[in-house]
Amino acid sequence: MDIFSILLNLFTPSVFLVVFAGVLVGIVVGAIPGLNGAIGISLLLPLTFTMEPQIGLLLLGGIYMGGMYGGSITAILINVPGDVVAAPVAMEGYPLTQQGRAKEALYYSIFSSMFGGFIGVLVLILFTPPLARFALQFGPAEMFFVSLSGLIIVGALSGSILKAALAVLLGLFISTVGVDMITGSERFTFDSLGLRSGISVVPVVLGLFCFAEMFLNIGKKPSEQVQYRDQKISRMTVIKDILSQRFLVWKSGLIGTVVGLLPGVGTTLAVFMSYGDAKRASRRDIPFEQGNPDGIIAAESANNATVGSSMVPLLALGVPGSPTSAIIAGALVIHGIVLGPSLFVNRPDVAFTFLYGMLLTVVAMTIIGAIGIKYFSYILKIKMEYIVPTVLVFALFGAYSLRNSLFDVFIAIILGIAGAIFKKMHVPLAPIIIGVVLGPLIETNLARAMRIAGARNMPLWEYLLATPLSKGLVALVVIMLLVVIRMRHKEKIAAKEVKNA
Amino acid sequence: MKTNLTLLLSAPFLLAAAGTAQAQDYPTKNIQIIVPYSAGGGGDTVARIVADRLGEELGQQINVVNREGAGGEIGIDEIARSDADGYTLGVFGYPDNFVLEHTRDTSFTFDSLDYLAAFDDMPMGIFASPNSQHNTLEELVSYGQEHPGEMIIGESGALGLLHALAFAERSDMQITPIRYSGGGELMNALLGNHIDLASTSSMSHDPIVDSNGKPIGFAAEERMEMFPDVPTFKEQGLDLVMGVSRVLVAPAGLPDDVREALVAALDKISTNEEMITNFENSAIPYRYLDDSAVNEMLEKSNSVLMPVIESNLDQINGN
Repeated sequence: MDIFSILLNLFTPSVFLVVFAGVLVGIVVGAIPGLNGAIGISLLLPLTFTMEPQIGLLLLGGIYMGGMYGGSITAILINVPGDVVAAPVAMEGYPLTQQGRAKEALYYSIFSSMFGGFIGVLVLILFTPPLARFALQFGPAEMFFVSLSGLIIVGALSGSILKAALAVLLGLFISTVGVDMITGSERFTFDSLGLRSGISVVPVVLGLFCFAEMFLNIGKKPSEQVQYRDQKISRMTVIKDILSQRFLVWKSGLIGTVVGLLPGVGTTLAVFMSYGDAKRASRRDIPFEQGNPDGIIAAESANNATVGSSMVPLLALGVPGSPTSAIIAGALVIHGIVLGPSLFVNRPDVAFTFLYGMLLTVVAMTIIGAIGIKYFSYILKIKMEYIVPTVLVFALFGAYSLRNSLFDVFIAIILGIAGAIFKKMHVPLAPIIIGVVLGPLIETNLARAMRIAGARNMPLWEYLLATPLSKGLVALVVIMLLVVIRMRHKEKIAAKEVKNA
Repeated sequence: MKTNLTLLLSAPFLLAAAGTAQAQDYPTKNIQIIVPYSAGGGGDTVARIVADRLGEELGQQINVVNREGAGGEIGIDEIARSDADGYTLGVFGYPDNFVLEHTRDTSFTFDSLDYLAAFDDMPMGIFASPNSQHNTLEELVSYGQEHPGEMIIGESGALGLLHALAFAERSDMQITPIRYSGGGELMNALLGNHIDLASTSSMSHDPIVDSNGKPIGFAAEERMEMFPDVPTFKEQGLDLVMGVSRVLVAPAGLPDDVREALVAALDKISTNEEMITNFENSAIPYRYLDDSAVNEMLEKSNSVLMPVIESNLDQINGN
């Protein structure tokens, strides 16, 4: 299929309409705590059944792209990330808002999302078959080391290392609750059906980030609230600044792309990885977690880059890499489109229109975001006494809607109270989430590795280090550990100097 | 602007929440179908195809909810424990529930569920990884017999495990089974050569073969129309027939009017050509059984499976 006929397919009013509509819906559901792109997609899925397959797909792709961005709006403005992937953005963006630089933070967020989105989709267009083969190389050993490297990132975040370690252990503990995937044995279930099903990430995120923040806002005096300020800053200044940070945006986009290929962990891991790396590499004199734009650039470009790459295994092999792409796979099936290598042979019209159309979703996201920012920041004009109940209602709804379970709502509220206490005690919350996300991956993959090593009559370590890829990943884990230790050491010296001065 | 949009977007939810329980004319609100597997596998696909059509027929949206874990036990348990009001249904591959019931300490039994329809009849199969040296059953079995315990078979559910064990038992091999949480994940492991074999249904045939995986055989009575080139185990001298049939269930004890409405709607959509085409496109051999036919089939199948489960019980529990 030549590029001309693809363009002919793309440049139609209906394509533009669905792409913009999809992105808009995505941004809105992404911004609402507890809702995310996956929920938006399942809501609008029935609409696509009557559309042409490529049009329906682009609607869903637009929601996916917009949803990845939307979460950062509330993260920056009211310190409530709409989704777990926006958590690092809140850590840098909200301090900027407190300094009266909300608009600037939002510009950093949208333009980094734009660069990341383009990188991910371009990689999807250009390298899908080889990358899909690369993703297949990740077996139990490789997944184990990748997940382990995610835990090390915790050390790179600011604050007490002891508190961070305790937080990550709490996260790992939460992830063990329920029926064990490999053996089927029950752990910490106390004969409760809710606990048997395990504690999933969504109520934990809502509790720690959303409920906790809102609880802490209750009783604050209006004078303590962040005031809306019309900041004069041009879009070009921000774009130029993003591009002048050496390779930051490209590097983060590529981290997002590569890590996003991995099933299950991709997005969350990618975002925290590039955030941690930006902290190491930042040349600005602003400490992290006090409003360093590099943190926003890294996190936002990484998460939008995963949109394209998480669809690589789906399109090339028929294996969905994230919950959202699994729902998109279901939509394709209903359209009678068989995924896998044969897709590009049998239905090139659908495949290529979709691929190139994803570039349009990035354009639409940028336009809506760049124009909308002025209006988004009006949220700051709303009094906290109105924001708190509104956000709480949406968060309750979000916690319930995941699996229509009141149990999840209780989990979210309990963790909300715990989160508020943790915040007062300066226990970082992000490591808890990292533990909850990575715990099951580390555990099941190690269990599988042990079993395979046993069958192959080799010691576990030999199996774990059998492939060049796993050796490389071990090296990565070690390097990350060393970098984190060095970072910590430097911070200590810097802190001492400040004290002495 | 943002506040208006959020309000607008939330309107359907609020409306849905307002139309609560009173079941005068079932259904008056959204229905959920629990699928005890992760998204993207065969059971999930059947659920989504049926949910789409059934929702249209009943005039309500049907949401498919994936509740994977513990080989399907978590999700099936939840279906069985739900209120029998017709607003929670389940789709899973029989005989997962039957195998779980007789191999683990489950809180559900066969009779905790009300079987309303079956949609397909899909044999289990054994596939070898792209790098495997074995192309035929004979080569594979002779290697496996010489290397006890070394052959690694991936599976993603109770039936997959039972099929793997029965396959090993009848070909005098010792194998090492490994659990994956869903069909997609299992396929990933096989195509990446992380495991030697996969015990999964015939539905995985196309993506596996497209990426150079090898079908060894199907546990069917005769060759499948869809895949005439793949031999059955029977014709290769191995007496093994085992399949999965995706059933639509409700918790036992539905009110009569609700049950009637559901059964009638299912019968009505069963001949829908668009839905049947969707099944075919997904490589799922469509076979509809109505509520009386499905119960007859299940009873017969239970009596065939029971001895297979009993003779492999120690191995399954050892897993």
